[in-house]
Amino acid sequence: MLESLLGNRTIERILFFLETYGQGYPKKISRVFGTSVNGIQQQLKRLEDGGIVFSSLEGRTRLYGFNPRYPFLKELKLLLQRAIKFLPDKEIEQYYRGRTRPRKKGKPL
Amino acid sequence: MKIAWGKAKIPDLAAIICEHLKKRGIEATLVGGACVSIYTKNKYISYDLDFVTENSLKELAPILDELGFIRKDGRLFEHPECGFLLDFPAPPLAVGNEPVSKFNSIRTRRGVIHLLTPTDCVKDRLAAYFFWNDRQALEQAILVAKDNKINQAEIAGWAVKEGATEKLKVFQRKLRR
Repeated sequence: MLESLLGNRTIERILFFLETYGQGYPKKISRVFGTSVNGIQQQLKRLEDGGIVFSSLEGRTRLYGFNPRYPFLKELKLLLQRAIKFLPDKEIEQYYRGRTRPRKKGKPL
Repeated sequence: MKIAWGKAKIPDLAAIICEHLKKRGIEATLVGGACVSIYTKNKYISYDLDFVTENSLKELAPILDELGFIRKDGRLFEHPECGFLLDFPAPPLAVGNEPVSKFNSIRTRRGVIHLLTPTDCVKDRLAAYFFWNDRQALEQAILVAKDNKINQAEIAGWAVKEGATEKLKVFQRKLRR
């Protein structure tokens, strides 16, 4: 969808993921897309170096989210929201409809 | 001129870096906490110097290497004898959603520092308070605003555009105290 604009598919998927879920960590993102953690980490680093995402340590996990200080964030998010609307239903269902509401410890999935 | 890197203070370092880059045709603007240190005469001390430039890190690396600063990780550079890190956040130079168009120059014994104006320095710190709820950044904004001539109307207009009217009021209240 935006692959040619963003440079590669992984970046596109990461940005769609963050737009959908708000935040994420490399292992979770790689699990959703069935790609390598290393590939995701590399692209997240690229986005962080570019000031587009930020990361913070939550316990032992490095969480990533959009950098609210990125001056083009509003426009980027609008573009992502529009692009997500064009994704096939199957892809939306597969990658962007994961459970986000909390689940009490001990309850079965 | 020999540089005692271990003893160099923020204004000296900032001037050395700005001048060295300028000699190589690179314009870099000092932003972030180091501007607070300079404008408050070290009431707040930053431990890194953030510069924004349109030039790439590949271009910067050999030029900074001439001064002994080695690229560490991502956009950071360190010097074995210097206690301060250099960081080159990605351009564009902006405070919140607004591009920076006015700059300040401060002459030091080591050369000229190219940096944010006190007004934009306050906005830069307030942006961290608005977006991250960082109280340290709010305190820094107040320190700069109290010690320097700033354009309060401009800051207020900018903050409203950033959608931070309530946090602007907190800043204005604290500034009056």
